[in-house]
Amino acid sequence: MNEESFYQFSTLTVLALLAAFYGGTYLLTLLIKKKKENTDAFMVSNHQIGFGLGAASMTATWIWAASFYGAATSGYTYGISGPLHYGLWGALMILFIYPFGRRFRKLAPNAHTLGELIHARHGSSSQLILASSNILGSIISLMVNFTASGALVSVLSPLSFQAGVVIAGVGVLSYTLWSGFRASVLTDFAQLMAMMAVAILIIPAVMFALGGPQTLSDGMSLLTPEQANLFSMDAILNQGAPFFVAVLAYAIGNQTISQRLFAVREDHIKPTFITATIGYGAIVIGLGMIGLMALMTGMEPIDGDMNNLIPQMVSMYLSPVFIGLFFILVIGSLSSTADSDLSAMSAIVMADVYGKNIAKNKPDPTKMLFIGRLTMIIATLIGVILASFSMDILIMLVFVGALWGAIVFPVIASCFWDRVTNKAFTSAVIAGLVMFCVARFELVPMVGVTAGLFELLAAVGGGVVLGLMAFGFCGRRVGVVFGALCTIVLAYFCFGFLRDYTVLLASLMAYGVSTLVCIGVSLLSSSKFDFAQINQDVINYDPVKPAVQA
Amino acid sequence: MQTLVLALYVLIWPLISLAIFAIIGIATVNDIRVARRDKRELV
Repeated sequence: MNEESFYQFSTLTVLALLAAFYGGTYLLTLLIKKKKENTDAFMVSNHQIGFGLGAASMTATWIWAASFYGAATSGYTYGISGPLHYGLWGALMILFIYPFGRRFRKLAPNAHTLGELIHARHGSSSQLILASSNILGSIISLMVNFTASGALVSVLSPLSFQAGVVIAGVGVLSYTLWSGFRASVLTDFAQLMAMMAVAILIIPAVMFALGGPQTLSDGMSLLTPEQANLFSMDAILNQGAPFFVAVLAYAIGNQTISQRLFAVREDHIKPTFITATIGYGAIVIGLGMIGLMALMTGMEPIDGDMNNLIPQMVSMYLSPVFIGLFFILVIGSLSSTADSDLSAMSAIVMADVYGKNIAKNKPDPTKMLFIGRLTMIIATLIGVILASFSMDILIMLVFVGALWGAIVFPVIASCFWDRVTNKAFTSAVIAGLVMFCVARFELVPMVGVTAGLFELLAAVGGGVVLGLMAFGFCGRRVGVVFGALCTIVLAYFCFGFLRDYTVLLASLMAYGVSTLVCIGVSLLSSSKFDFAQINQDVINYDPVKPAVQA
Repeated sequence: MQTLVLALYVLIWPLISLAIFAIIGIATVNDIRVARRDKRELV
């Protein structure tokens, strides 16, 4: 990488910035009292998080370092509509899980993880599918965030990549280790406020440093007709639609989100999700505009690496103060996601692995807390090692995404339909994952009848996604009718067309196949589940039960 | 006209961020007040 093209901080300056950030964050966590420590507080803050902290934490967790780089890349590649196709769909997914989140809370008000609810509904195999996918996903997320720190530090200072990775790992672990989720939520607030303040300043600063709106208007001539089109089909099919499908799976399957869902006071869930939706969209789309502005000024990313776009723009056009602010923005975003991943993994191992499967619902709370902290240390070590050696494990992210995609319908159906069985859940997830792999890696030639069949299954997947959204907000009847209509319309348009968009085809297949198998196997069974059992099985692990509902 | 639209398209996002910044800030101050009143911890 041509580091001479970027502004360079001295070693002392960058160490001072990191020390100020992580030192300040650590001091903030000292405000948390440790006398009345219990597992419930460690995992979900006793289900008593207020609206302000809940919305801040939800937003900060949803934004990671890749959000900025991804949105800017989308703006640079697809032009005017690019930032929208990154930020808008990501934001809407937060809103999308709100109605389902309310149902999860109603069924299991004492839950710490979604896996506990699924354990009560189906048993260990379904629960462990969810738990293992989350642990793998969070390890990958940790690695990506630590890698982003290493890359940023090595680009903007004489420090090495490995130094940046280790500092981020130690920094995040230091403030998260003792208080777990409580520290994550409290620091998320401070980190989000800092991120928002920086984003509010940097976006107009870049625009006016470029020469103001007139420069952007002049730059329109550099855009291709597709890039200049707000409704670009190229952007929708290559960026918007695949991203929409992927983040939906992420929103439902990921413990970092469901942990906050279980932590926010029940009467604050709605405003929390709405505020987080708007907050996420505004920050991420706004920073994506920097990529669009780079395109409009004819800038080329150094070494062709799109991740250099924002650092390049900031280095070229802004003063060192703004570059320092940008540095804090990225470190804040990656740290808030990394601490959420640590909290999520510790809760999964504490509740799903130890609480449910080893201690069989009678855990020792002290041992449980120890296990949670040990999980954080081990996870940080793994994340730092994977990032330090730049191990190429991103291919695993494809499988995690597919797994979460295959999980969406079985999880939601399990919470609303009393006929879904454990067999239906597991077979649906496995079938969805297998068919995803067949389509994604083109294990069979994507021609003729096979391609047509896959396109029809993908159309079902598209109908499921849209039907679930309608179901969430408008009820069962509207959801089923809308989903069926969307499937028919999509089948008409997808046939003979979608085979050229492998990523989208495979992602939608995961939804479609898992849905069909889940419904089919469930209909073969006549058993009916009593949802009231879930509340009895999902318990608080501490001896004295704190207040649960507002 | 195009210049104005482009300027708005870029600047609307930091403006919305500013509004959310204020909403979350005020709500958190309220959270702190409620926690103190109820004599329980904030998180």
